[in-house]
Amino acid sequence: MLGRGVKRKWSSLEGSEAEQLPDAAATEDKRLDAALEDSEEEDRGDRRSRTDAGHLQQRQLVLSLCLKKLQHYQAGVELSLRRSVLLINTLRQIQEEMQSDGTDVQLGGVSRDARLLRDDFREDESVTCPGCTEGDAESPSPPPSPEPTNTTPTDLHKPLPNVVGHTFSDAGSAMGYLSDLALDDIFEDIDTSMYESSELPSAWAAGSLWPVSVSFWPNDDDVKLCSSAGSLQSCLLDLNELDHIMEILVKS
Amino acid sequence: MAGVTGGNDFQWCFSQVKGAIDEDVAEADIISTVEFNYSGDLLATGDKGGRVVIFQHEQESKNRPHLRGEYNVYSTFQSHEPEFDYLKSLEIEEKINKIRWLPQQNAAHFLLSTNDKTIKLWKISERDKRAEGYNLKDEDGRLRDPFRITSLRVPVLMPMDLMVEASPRRIFANAHTYHINSISVNSDHETYLSADDLRINLWHLEITDRSFNIVDIKPANMEELTEVITAAECHPHQCNVFVYSSSKGTIRLCDMRAAALCDRHSKFFEEPEDPSSRSFFSEIISSISDVKFSHSGRYMMTRDYLSVKVWDLNMENRPVETYQVHEYLRSKLCSLYENDCIFDKFECCWNGSDSAIMTGSYNNFFRMFDRNTRRDITLEASRESSKPRATLKPRKVSTGGKRKKDEISVDSLDFNKKILHTAWHPKDNVIAVAATNNLYIFQDKIN
Repeated sequence: MLGRGVKRKWSSLEGSEAEQLPDAAATEDKRLDAALEDSEEEDRGDRRSRTDAGHLQQRQLVLSLCLKKLQHYQAGVELSLRRSVLLINTLRQIQEEMQSDGTDVQLGGVSRDARLLRDDFREDESVTCPGCTEGDAESPSPPPSPEPTNTTPTDLHKPLPNVVGHTFSDAGSAMGYLSDLALDDIFEDIDTSMYESSELPSAWAAGSLWPVSVSFWPNDDDVKLCSSAGSLQSCLLDLNELDHIMEILVKS
Repeated sequence: MAGVTGGNDFQWCFSQVKGAIDEDVAEADIISTVEFNYSGDLLATGDKGGRVVIFQHEQESKNRPHLRGEYNVYSTFQSHEPEFDYLKSLEIEEKINKIRWLPQQNAAHFLLSTNDKTIKLWKISERDKRAEGYNLKDEDGRLRDPFRITSLRVPVLMPMDLMVEASPRRIFANAHTYHINSISVNSDHETYLSADDLRINLWHLEITDRSFNIVDIKPANMEELTEVITAAECHPHQCNVFVYSSSKGTIRLCDMRAAALCDRHSKFFEEPEDPSSRSFFSEIISSISDVKFSHSGRYMMTRDYLSVKVWDLNMENRPVETYQVHEYLRSKLCSLYENDCIFDKFECCWNGSDSAIMTGSYNNFFRMFDRNTRRDITLEASRESSKPRATLKPRKVSTGGKRKKDEISVDSLDFNKKILHTAWHPKDNVIAVAATNNLYIFQDKIN
C-alpha cells in the first residue's frame, strides 16, 4: 500500500519536524499539499483505505492546524463564528473518522493524559505528545525562561518527532483530547466568551482567576488562553448574570 | 447580451482605476463592498475604515466620444466609527460589511450601510442653491436688529457651488448579537432584512427601535451549534419571500406568509455531496459565501469556495448550472486551509439581463460565465493593463502537466490578491471590481 513517494514523505517529515523553524513555513506548505496529493493519488488508485499513511498523516496535519487555529482564535485575533463552526465541524469529522477506524481502541493509556489536559489544557503537547504533557503536568513548574518564549504557530509541531513514530497513539491522544474535553470547552468559548458575555481577555488579565496557567507557564502567552474549565465557567457565569441584569435595566 | 465572456463580437476594456497606487496598503483602505444603485448612475464602495465613497457616472464628453462617461467621486463620508462594547469587552470594527441602495423616490438618494452590529440609513442629497435676503437675519446668519427692519422683502434662491450632503437618517442598532453578514431591501420598499450568523431580523425603514426576528437558528445549547447563516436576500418581486444560505452549503427559502417566525423553511435547496471528492475540507469548501436572486426572480445563484451554482427556485435537489471558478485549487486545499484563505468569502453578481454571472478569484483574477453559450473567461484587474481603452486579455491558469505560453501556473498565483467583491451595472456592460484598495471599472468596447 505504501508507495515510494509516501515513504519519502515520512522521512522528510521526520527531518523537517525535528528542527521546525518558523521560517520553514514554506516547506511545510509544500509538504501539506504533497500529503494531500498523495492521499488523492491513492484515492484514484485502489479505493482509499483509511489506514493509508498519507491519509493519516494528512488527518494529523489537519487536526493540529485545526486546534491551532481554534486556540489562536480564542485569543480574540479573529472573531468569526462561521470560521470556528467550520473548524469545529472539521474536528468532529476527524473524530468520527477516528472512531470508525477504531483508532480510539488504542487510547487506553492516553485518555489519562487527556484528563490531565483538563486541568491545564496545554495546547502543543496536548494535541500531539502525551509523554510531554504528562511530564509537564507532574513537575509543577518548568523553570521560567527569562526571554519571551517563541510562540510562533510552528511551535505546534515541535513534539511531532515523537509523533511520527506513534501515529496511532498520537491520534489517540488527540482523540482523548477531543472526546474528553476539547469540544465542550471550545464551544463554551465560542458561545459565551466571544459573543454572549464577553471576550474575556480583560477577565484573564485578572490573573488570580488563572492560577494554574500563570504559575506553570508564565512566559507562554497562549497558555493564558487555555485555562481551566472550572474557573472559566464561574467567570462566564458572572458575566452572563451581568448581561442579564443589563438587559433588564435597558428594557425597563 | 450574448458573448459577454469574450466572443468575437465583444471585448472588455479598461475604463478606470480608483485608489492609491502605493505598494503598502493601509488596512483601512481595503474595499469591503461594492454596489451599483438601481439606475447604475451611482456606484458605492465601503471600506474597512468605515468610509463610504460614492461615484457618479458622468455623461460622455464631446472631446472623448469613445468613452461612455466616467465615474467620478460624488460624495465621501464616514459611515461607521470604531466602537467598543463595554459590557462585552468587545471591539466593534468600523468595517462596512454591506451597502444596499434604496430605490430612488425623489431627488435624493438613500442607502443602507452596515458594519458588524449597526445598520445606518443615509440620505445623499444635492444642494446647488441657497436662499438669500431673509428679513430677520443678515447674509452671515446673524439676527438683524428688529428696529432696523423697515421693509419686507422676499427671499430669493441664488445659485451656488454644488454641494453633496450625506446625512444619517436612521440608525438601527442593538438588534444583532452576532456579526451582520447581509442586508437586503425588500421589494415593498418599506422593509428590509438584516442577517447575522444565527438570526435574521426584519425592519421597517422608518422604525429604528423595533425589529422582528424572523429566523433564529441559535440552539438552546451552543454546544450543539453546527451551522451558521452566511448570507440572506429578499426576493426581488415577492416581498414575502426571502432566502438564506448556510455554512453547510444549503439554502432555505422562507415564506413570511406562512408564519411570523420562519424557522421552518418552505423550500430547502441542497445538492447531494459527491462521495468521491470527499475530503476533510468538504464542508468548509461547500459553505456558501453569497446568495443572489436573479433580476427576474426565477433563479438564484450561490457561491461556494470553488464554484458558482445557479438554482431554479422550482427545483430544490440540485442546481441547474454549476460553474467551476478555480477548480485547480482543489489540490491546494491543505495550504489554503493553513493560510486561512479557505475561509475567504467570495461574492457573486448577475448582469442586468441575467444572462451572465461574475465572481472573483485569487491573483486579482475574476471570472465571468455566459449562461447561454456556457463560455467562461478569466480576466485580471491589474495596473499593468490599465491604459485607457486597453482590451483585457483573457488569462489562463495551467491546470496540469505542461504550462503553455501565456499561462500562469497555480504555484505562482498570489493568494494575497483576491477579488471578493464585484458589481455589475444593472443595465449596461459596465463592471466594478474591488481589488484590495483599488476599484477597477471595466466596460465593453464600443467598436
